[in-house]
Formats: sequence, structure tokens, C-alpha cells
Amino acid sequence: MVGVSPATTLQDAYRTMREKGIRHLAVLDGERLAGVVTDRDLRLATSALAPVPFAADSSVSAIMCKEPLTANAEDAVEDAARVMRERKIGCLPVVDDGRVIGIITGIDLLDALIRMTGVDKPSGRLEVRLPDRPGELARLTAYMSERELNIHSILTHPEGSERVRTVLRVGSIETRLLARDLREAGFEVVWPPDKPCPR
Amino acid sequence: MSSLIYRPEYANYSFGEDHPFSPLRVRMALELLEALGHRVDAIAPEAARREDLLSVHDEYYVDHVEALSAGRSVTNAQSYGLDTPDTPAFPGMDEAARWHVGGTLLGARQILEGTEKRVLQLGGGLHHARRNFASGFCVYNDLAIAIRSLTRRGLWVAYLDIDVHHGDGVQQILYEDRRVMTISLHESGKYLFPGTGEVHELGSGVGRGLKLNVPLEPHTEGESYLEVLEEVVPAALRHFGPAVLVVQAGADAHYDDQLADLMLGTRDYERIFSRILGWAETFTAGRVLFTLGGGYSLRATPRVWALLYLVVNGLPVPEDLPPEWVRRWSHVLGPQPPLEFHDPSPLRVDIPNRAEIRHRNLQVAHRLLEGARPYWL
Repeated sequence: MVGVSPATTLQDAYRTMREKGIRHLAVLDGERLAGVVTDRDLRLATSALAPVPFAADSSVSAIMCKEPLTANAEDAVEDAARVMRERKIGCLPVVDDGRVIGIITGIDLLDALIRMTGVDKPSGRLEVRLPDRPGELARLTAYMSERELNIHSILTHPEGSERVRTVLRVGSIETRLLARDLREAGFEVVWPPDKPCPR
Repeated sequence: MSSLIYRPEYANYSFGEDHPFSPLRVRMALELLEALGHRVDAIAPEAARREDLLSVHDEYYVDHVEALSAGRSVTNAQSYGLDTPDTPAFPGMDEAARWHVGGTLLGARQILEGTEKRVLQLGGGLHHARRNFASGFCVYNDLAIAIRSLTRRGLWVAYLDIDVHHGDGVQQILYEDRRVMTISLHESGKYLFPGTGEVHELGSGVGRGLKLNVPLEPHTEGESYLEVLEEVVPAALRHFGPAVLVVQAGADAHYDDQLADLMLGTRDYERIFSRILGWAETFTAGRVLFTLGGGYSLRATPRVWALLYLVVNGLPVPEDLPPEWVRRWSHVLGPQPPLEFHDPSPLRVDIPNRAEIRHRNLQVAHRLLEGARPYWL
């Protein structure tokens, strides 16, 4: 996180953003969070299209967002994502005991998404459509457990009101054979599909 | 001119009767060549030594393989990828894997010493094995070990992996090595094991821009495959200027393979092998070492590897399969065994989004070259 004082000029704030390759600055009054200023704030405030454009030596306190929404270090990532999406904002300063300890931006959320869906162990993709009722995911994972297959990650999302799409990364090269057996056991396997069969 | 490396002990590398990585595949290929009247003179390699393994693998990992191989019980074997459903432990596993490593190492030595230019190692290709864990049927990484034996003597090596799975072990072990270029064509990791092999995996440090990956769409056919191969490989080899080409010739991109989703036929493989030999002539003065790899259809893989032998040796490809060979293997070839050497061509198969697949594969090849080229300057 990069912080500046309320008296920092727009010119200096701009330079800081350029040098550090960032778009969000926390404005700090000592340790207290005074506001947030973004590259968009700078561009709008100084735009030739603005009714009265701010001068380059104006201070950031004149254009910053004065009471920014904040997050707590213990907040869930998805809560931060929801707040940023609903309020259409690009960052949340992270505050602990009145002290700013960091800032989370949209890029950090993309990193989290990449990590959640990424591959850090050799594994194959398995995608199963399950009825949305108690015990279905357990039935699937129990099947894996019986075959001593390690599940490296699971993502699920609702598909309509009655079904759930579940994407697993399984520690096996033989996911197609697994898919065949799962189909025989009555599961609806979306991936891998049956292979096209030459006539 | 060319040599063949093989010994019957390769067959000891076997995870059990129902396991897809079956020694039958090579045996069927060899018997097919014999039935076609070819006298297959193979040179038998020594087993790799422990210090060969340690050029790539961690000592504690090798210790674990040895212990399991000797039937000693090992705690947390699964954290080393051993004794898993894919790679179950079996008695003699260490020695069986070392035969394969020894064969690939012998091939590298023949090329290094200049006794041979074209070498076909009828085993090895265990490209998933990592520094400290087994993965995807692979215990020791014979390819990385052999490549290291060449780079240590000052030779720059280009590694081309046409197995349908990403050559993740080889790539990972040599990720920062500027003396090795790796090129892997495979079904995209979004769909297929091991999940890696995206275009942005370009190597790191001084090895940046030298690790190339072409993730292909499921149901990719030969025409598209050859198109991207042609787009990427000559450009990459021209830039890198290797002394030796090492090729992992897995046969599991074949349409009959049940572990993956690509749609190559034997005529495509014939073109691929010929092109690779041509590139070896152009870029590495003919020096090329082929290993085997994946390939899990007993109907297809023996023909693909027999074909590899024929192409490497400049021999004609016959029209028909020898009837006695088909009869002998009828129990694994199924109720309607192939009778001709080549698959039917063109393949009569419905792939509704064929044009889109081809377009996307070509786009991926271009994106890869765009990403890598800045590092080639």
C-alpha cells in the first residue's frame, strides 16, 4: 500500500502513481485514514472537460473520497468482492484498530480467483452436474474416496434452481475412465465428454 | 546410421494387468515389425546408476522409491506421488524404472559421442516425473536426466513433446535452464491432466522465453495439429540453434486413445515424424533422439510406434497388417480389429466445431510466439 498526506499536490500524486504503477493511494493523516484518491479522481478533477478543472498544485484533500468504505483484515474475500461490486469501487483500504494496514484492489481479487481455480498440483478436470439436495456432493466425494483419489480443489455453483455444477480437480491422469465409471454409477458427468467415434 | 535401444527388462516397468501403461504396447509394436519382416536389432542399455538419477531427483525421493521397490513400508508414500491409483508401487519398481532411464541415457551418449545421429529408444519418455515426486505413471524422469547429461557436456538441447499430456516434469526441472528449449504440444490443461502447459509458462530467469507450450482444443484433428506444429517448431529451433533434438513420441493424441480427447490418425503421425526428421536435418545436423511415452490404445499405439521405427529408418509403410499378427493379438484388438496398417483416412467423424477448433489452435500458437519472441531478441 502507498500512502500520501492530505497536502500532497495532484502533480505529486500523479507522479507517485506512475512511478509505482498503481491506481489507488491511501490519504493518511498521521496513522488515521483521511481518504482515498484514485487515478480516476485525478483524471476527472483535472480534465479539460471539467467545468472548473483543478490545478496541478491543488492538494489531494480537495478531490479525494473523504469517507471511503473500508475492510477489516479478518473479512472474507468474497465480502470484499461484494462490497466493491455493489458500490462500483476499485479498492478498499484495510483498517485495523483505526490504523490503515493495507489496501485491497480489484487486481488482488483477480489474483484470488486465479489461485482458487488454478492448478498447483498435477491433476485432471472433472465436471459433474448434481441434483441440488443434501448428500449429493458427499455421494460424489465418497466415490472418489473409495477409489483413493485425491481431490485438489472443488468449485461449485448453482445451475438453475434444482441443480449444482461441480468442477473438481482430481489427482489422476485417468479422469476419462473415472468419468465412464461415474456415468455407470448414475452421475451426470459434463467433462470429460464421450469422445467422437469414427464410423 | 540409426540405432534402436531396447531390452526385455523394460517390460518390468508395469503397474499391473489392468493398468493402461502396459508393456504390451511395445511388445506388440516389436512383434508387428518382426511380422513385417524387419530384423529388429536392438542395443541393450545398462540400468542408470543412482548418481544419474540424482542429477535431477532429490535423494530422499530416490530413497523412498528404493524402499517401496524393496517392499519396505514407507510412511507418507502418497506425498511423493507413489502408491497412488495412477502410480502404484510394485516390487522392483526402482530397478525397472532405471532400465528405462539407462536406455534414454545411452541414446544421449551415442549422439554425444557421434556414433549415431538418429536414435530410437523403445522405452522411457516418463515426462511427468518431478524432482521430488512421481506423477502420471512416471517414477524417474529419463528425459530430463538424459538432457542434463548432454548439457553438462556443453550441448544445447531442444526437447519436443508430442504426447497428448503436457510435459510438465521436463519443463519444471529445466525451467530456468538456458541450454534447454522445451516445446510441448498437448490437449489444454483446462481439460486434461496435468492441468499446466498454458502459453504464459515461458520459463524463468535466463531460461525465460525457452519453455514453449501449445495447449490444444479437445477434438483437435491432424490438419490443425500439423498446422500449429509447423507454425511453432521451425521458428523456435531457428532461434535457439540446438545441437540435439530430443523427442518424446507419446501416441496418446490418437483418436482411439481413451485417456484424452485429440483426434490424430496414423497418417497424421507419419507426417509428424517425417517433419521432425526434416527439422533435425535442418537444425541439428540430423541429431535426434526419440523416446516413447503415453499411448494407451492397444489398437493404435503399437502401429504408431512401429510407424515411428519405419519412418526413422526410411522404410516403406505397408498397406496391410500381417494377418498372423492380428490373429495373435485378437484378444486385445477387439471384435473388429484393424486389418490395414494405416487408419482410414480421411477419418469419418462428426466434429461440429471443427473450424472453430482450428482457428483457436492457430490463435494460441500466435499468442505463444508473440509472448516468447521478445525474449529471443
